Amino acid sequence: MSTRWYPIYQKGNPQLRIFLPNFWMKLVAPDFRQPESVVQFHCSMEMTKTDIQNYLTKIYNIDIVKVRTRIALGRFVKEPQRQYIMKLDDVKVAYVTLPKDQKFTFPDLFPKDKKNTTIKDGEKSLEDMKNSFKNYLDRNKERPGMPNWYTI
Amino acid sequence: MFVIVFSRGTANGAKMASLAKVVNISRAINNVSQLFTNLTISPSIKCTSVLVSQLRVPRYGCAYVHTTPRRRALMEFFDDAKNWGEFDIKVGRAWRKDELRIKSNEDLHKLWFVLLKERNMLLTMEHAAKKDLEIFPNPERKYKVEESMSNLETVVRERNKAYHLLETGEDGERPGKLVHNQLGMMYYYRMCEHTIPKFMNNKWRQKYKFGYSGNAVHKFRKLYREKLWNEKRKARNRDRNHVMHLMKRFPNLDLEAVKEQYPDVDIENLKSQKKARGHFVPQ
Repeated sequence: MSTRWYPIYQKGNPQLRIFLPNFWMKLVAPDFRQPESVVQFHCSMEMTKTDIQNYLTKIYNIDIVKVRTRIALGRFVKEPQRQYIMKLDDVKVAYVTLPKDQKFTFPDLFPKDKKNTTIKDGEKSLEDMKNSFKNYLDRNKERPGMPNWYTI
Repeated sequence: MFVIVFSRGTANGAKMASLAKVVNISRAINNVSQLFTNLTISPSIKCTSVLVSQLRVPRYGCAYVHTTPRRRALMEFFDDAKNWGEFDIKVGRAWRKDELRIKSNEDLHKLWFVLLKERNMLLTMEHAAKKDLEIFPNPERKYKVEESMSNLETVVRERNKAYHLLETGEDGERPGKLVHNQLGMMYYYRMCEHTIPKFMNNKWRQKYKFGYSGNAVHKFRKLYREKLWNEKRKARNRDRNHVMHLMKRFPNLDLEAVKEQYPDVDIENLKSQKKARGHFVPQ
């Protein structure tokens, strides 16, 4: 069930159907080394194991063998300036086992070669800025102190 | 027809199996129908007589028609591979209510799952970026999806209300009422169903205690109301003094505009006040 309000379920009633589930799930890199067929998720705190299984099979069309869940306690951290203690939110962690023949490895979402090119992009924009400033100075060499909106 | 139904808790095995079958069949039908629509709509098809057995090979000038659903499965939790490591990802705007109102229920149902997947993807990418100490590009995408989802839900709720009002005369929303808590403060209590009646439900009675009594509570209420009244009184006096000072300082004051901005202030009464007399050279 999603976090919205639904009529109470009594034994013998027709099964509750959810047409607009508002649960969220995120696939996270495993904290510790897991078997290759195990995928780690963080999910809404209200989700049960059955919910998780249904969510992944019906919406994402993934075959699932088993789901295990635990609630990870949020850490207690000290605020660096004022020194009061804060508690980070608890989170529900789900370990989903895929069939034996399927494997999943968490992809490298921030590839290094791409990172280098983006840094080059930054340098490029800096170069552009330098050039435009130089142009501006050249244009106004004859008349110092003129504001930049005076000529086009 | 492509319906995703999501079932809760007490999963009935046989039911689920039959449901899965229905979904699969409907998906197959959907694919076939898609094939036809693709064939008819696509403008770049060259009409040549081709044997049915040769249809498997892409012979058209357009893209090959896919008949199997895309199965990206777990990779649907991640953004497109070309967007990995990018600084700037261009996206459109959120869905507006008026656009959603002209959609059919079926379309809205499909769109909900598209948005749900998109939100999951963004949450996943954001988490990964945070963990790797990287920048999550364009975080406003998340708010756009959330806005779309809330708009969609509002539209569905509107339709639900209209349907219930037509059929039953009630709006079908979750019932609730304004109640006093034990300190005498009002709040909106949202009602829900219970398996046992109220007088047997000790747990509920311990948690929800409506109504107030006792000397201390009455004293608290008196002081609290005084506080609220003082705030109101101070605001009123502040406005009144402000208007008087405006009248004093500005000879060409537009009194109509002032009246519009401060509707509670009686300007006719203020004109006779000493504080409101003009402090400027008479014209």
